[in-house]
Amino acid sequence: MQPWHRRLFFLRSIGGVSLACAVALAGGCGSGVAEGPGRPTLPGPKTFHHSFEQAPASLDPVQATNIYANHVVVNAYDTLFAYKYLARPYQLKPNLAEDWPEISPDLLTYRIRLKRGVRFQDDPCFPGGRGRELVAEDFVYSLKRQFDPQNRPQGGWFWQGRIVGIDAWKSAGSDYAQDIPGLRALDSHTLEIRLTRPYPQLLDTFAQGYSAVVPHEAVACYGRELGTHPVGSGPFKVVAYDTARVVFERHPGYRQEPVDLAAEGYDPVKQRYTGVERIAGRSPPFVDRLIIDFANDDASRWNSFTKGDEVQLSALPPERAEAVLASLNPVRLQPEYAEKYQAYSGPEAGFVFEVFNFDFPDFGYHPDPARERRNKALRCAIIKAFDWEARNASWYFGLATVFPGVIVPVVPEFDPALSRASVTRDVDGARRLLRDNGWTAANLPVLVYGQSAGVKQRMFYEQFRAELKQIGWPPEKVVLKQFATFGDLSRAWKESRLPIVAKGWGLDYPDAENTLQLFYGPNGSPGSNDANWHNVEFDRLYEQAAVMLPSPERTALYRRMNQLVIDDCVGMTGLARNRIYLWHRNVVAMPDREIVGGFWLKYVDVLPPGQSARPEGLGATG
Amino acid sequence: MTAGMARNGDGVAVPATRRTSLWQTALAKFARDRAGLVGLTVVALYLLVAIGVWFGWWATEWADITGAKWAPVSAQHWFGTNIIGQDIFQRGLYSTATAFEVGLVVAVLVVVLGGLLGATSGFLAGSWVDEIVLWTMGVVDAVPFYLMVAAIAFALADYPYAMHVAMISTFWTTTGRFVRGEVIKLRGLEFVEAARALGVGQAAIVLRHVLPNTLHILLVQMTLCFVDAIKAEVVLSFLGLGVKDGMSWGLMISESTLEFLAGHFNNLVAASLLMFGLVYAFNMFADALQDALDPKRVA
Repeated sequence: MQPWHRRLFFLRSIGGVSLACAVALAGGCGSGVAEGPGRPTLPGPKTFHHSFEQAPASLDPVQATNIYANHVVVNAYDTLFAYKYLARPYQLKPNLAEDWPEISPDLLTYRIRLKRGVRFQDDPCFPGGRGRELVAEDFVYSLKRQFDPQNRPQGGWFWQGRIVGIDAWKSAGSDYAQDIPGLRALDSHTLEIRLTRPYPQLLDTFAQGYSAVVPHEAVACYGRELGTHPVGSGPFKVVAYDTARVVFERHPGYRQEPVDLAAEGYDPVKQRYTGVERIAGRSPPFVDRLIIDFANDDASRWNSFTKGDEVQLSALPPERAEAVLASLNPVRLQPEYAEKYQAYSGPEAGFVFEVFNFDFPDFGYHPDPARERRNKALRCAIIKAFDWEARNASWYFGLATVFPGVIVPVVPEFDPALSRASVTRDVDGARRLLRDNGWTAANLPVLVYGQSAGVKQRMFYEQFRAELKQIGWPPEKVVLKQFATFGDLSRAWKESRLPIVAKGWGLDYPDAENTLQLFYGPNGSPGSNDANWHNVEFDRLYEQAAVMLPSPERTALYRRMNQLVIDDCVGMTGLARNRIYLWHRNVVAMPDREIVGGFWLKYVDVLPPGQSARPEGLGATG
Repeated sequence: MTAGMARNGDGVAVPATRRTSLWQTALAKFARDRAGLVGLTVVALYLLVAIGVWFGWWATEWADITGAKWAPVSAQHWFGTNIIGQDIFQRGLYSTATAFEVGLVVAVLVVVLGGLLGATSGFLAGSWVDEIVLWTMGVVDAVPFYLMVAAIAFALADYPYAMHVAMISTFWTTTGRFVRGEVIKLRGLEFVEAARALGVGQAAIVLRHVLPNTLHILLVQMTLCFVDAIKAEVVLSFLGLGVKDGMSWGLMISESTLEFLAGHFNNLVAASLLMFGLVYAFNMFADALQDALDPKRVA
């Protein structure tokens, strides 16, 4: 479509929907969510009832900042690519895209063809209330929204400076009628994306909730209300949403795509016990209604799960591990639980870690080189005092993986042979390091340990303080600063107000680059480099690796960067949690909340009560 | 005439009546109250524990990791250990000092503030000063306690005494009202009239003549306030609005929420028992003191 045609298309569409929206807003647009708090009232529909510990703040794809939002967004909307249901390690697959893209030899131009016949869900925002076909221009429009400040977008950093002209488009005022040279719809079902430099993770970014395809009619109709009223082309349609739960119903017009288990990465040895063979050859979604409760309290979710008639899937609270598990490694359920539930234990695609903020001269960079050397000794001593194994035992069943550096175990670049010295507790070594560098109880600096409010967070602090006391750090010099909300704490990180940052990071895509970028100099606060660490060699290697396709050479660069982080004692890192999921035996599922999260929900099936998805003779954990 | 005997108006010898003050009578009455004495003894024991903590005689390892996660009750760990291996008994003892610190600071300052404002208000009853004090009391009482505390805690951010400030600024009104009523009664009595006639200033009359006569009210209020402060501290700490640094029974109970599902209740039991013991003993003591100092009963 030529530019003027597109302008016309856009303007006509806006005008076309305006009347419908005027009527709809008066009583129609909101009708989809008029069910109140969303209690299921129909006894009949096949329902899968899930729960989460937090509610998403918005269901608008431009603000799909976490797995909670993504679980909703990728089910209400569609993305060009998705992660395979069963493949571990994670593998990408075309979703809205008809196939893999054509990529130019210089890796700068991608041409992606979309599936035909994909329709948006019926909604009053469309003329006549009937969802129209999704076209390439919708994707262009949706990605532009990430660069329109009026939407308060959160995901633009994926494409900022990468797609030709996208930053200039934003600087020029985010006029949707204007074209972006690097983001074009060649025809109704073909996209062309031109990059400023090779971007090996580009297709992964098109699996993010941030890139989900939104019809402009819905934006014009609902405006900010789109955050509570999704209109997409995904397998489910949101019919009710509030801070307590979200209720979906099956999208009857969802495209028919029978499940090919082999293509989804099915491993019969490890996954047959889940009963997923039952869905082979059938087109998802398999349930009529999907409910996700948001309940922050572990005990509430657990009680609802074990009650039997509410939540059908739950993560096992660490406090229940002793009672529920007969064996931790391998994970096996106690017989009474194995009778009723299925279980899966898998590593987190991410990690928890704590880094020093190099903006603080007491711990990081200092104008005096001698003091800077002493600061490094100070950091290294704290790292030696830090007890990862104790944390593993206290908070993560003892099942988590403690690993050196920042390349997490689930990515192919992980190096299992790397020295574990940086994650092995060495109290004597820490004391020696402090003594040799002139640190005494009198001159050790005050260390402010920031956490959000909560009893668990307070215990993290107490654990840290007790460990430092063992190397001679006076307890009164380790001070807790609690923030009322996680948002306040996050703001303090972004504004570089805390000398130590303790956080978790979930991978956006299965590539070590996603954790290494946390230490790239230009990403300093308010970017993702909370340590504000600037290492010339690291930055050079990062820039070199960022344009390389996966290869042994790139892996070598990644590992060298990892070693630089370890050698400079940037922080305590890291630990990858092992999650344990339990679900009722009549549920056919392979749950997962890693990477983007949520793609698995459309494959869930629920058998009548009393039936078991587990084939005869198999255990509850496969 | 034998010692201890006197003659009445008719010249008959009768036992001499020694003139005793109200305080001596009250003390004698308190000494006969067994429940009160038991309460006082228990409170004294708790105080001894608190003093030991303040001087570093015991509970010095309350913040250290001295055992395994959820170690059971043993000779080494009398109440077992918590989720990160800290000794629950030591944390319980340390919390006793926190309770006394909070109770004493709040009770003393509440009595001072409430006493002064109540006495001033009562002595100047009907004046604009009285109006302002009464209006302030009404406003403070109109705000729910925990809402007020949350607001003050938020406003004072990291100030370690935010909880103390919150309690003092809300608890003083009760003492103030009691003292005001008593002073209104006292200000019409002869000794006040006499002081006025002698030209004693109003402030001096209030401080030197009126307030000392409300001491029985202040003492009882102090004991009641002490208990209320301890209970409020536990609740506030449980809610995350209380103790910022250190340890308290409220924080221990809060910690126990991490342990219920796993079937570990040592934190909860230890903190609850220790708190119950002190609060109950202090209540017994306060009741006895109230009985002993009640002028009607003493008379």
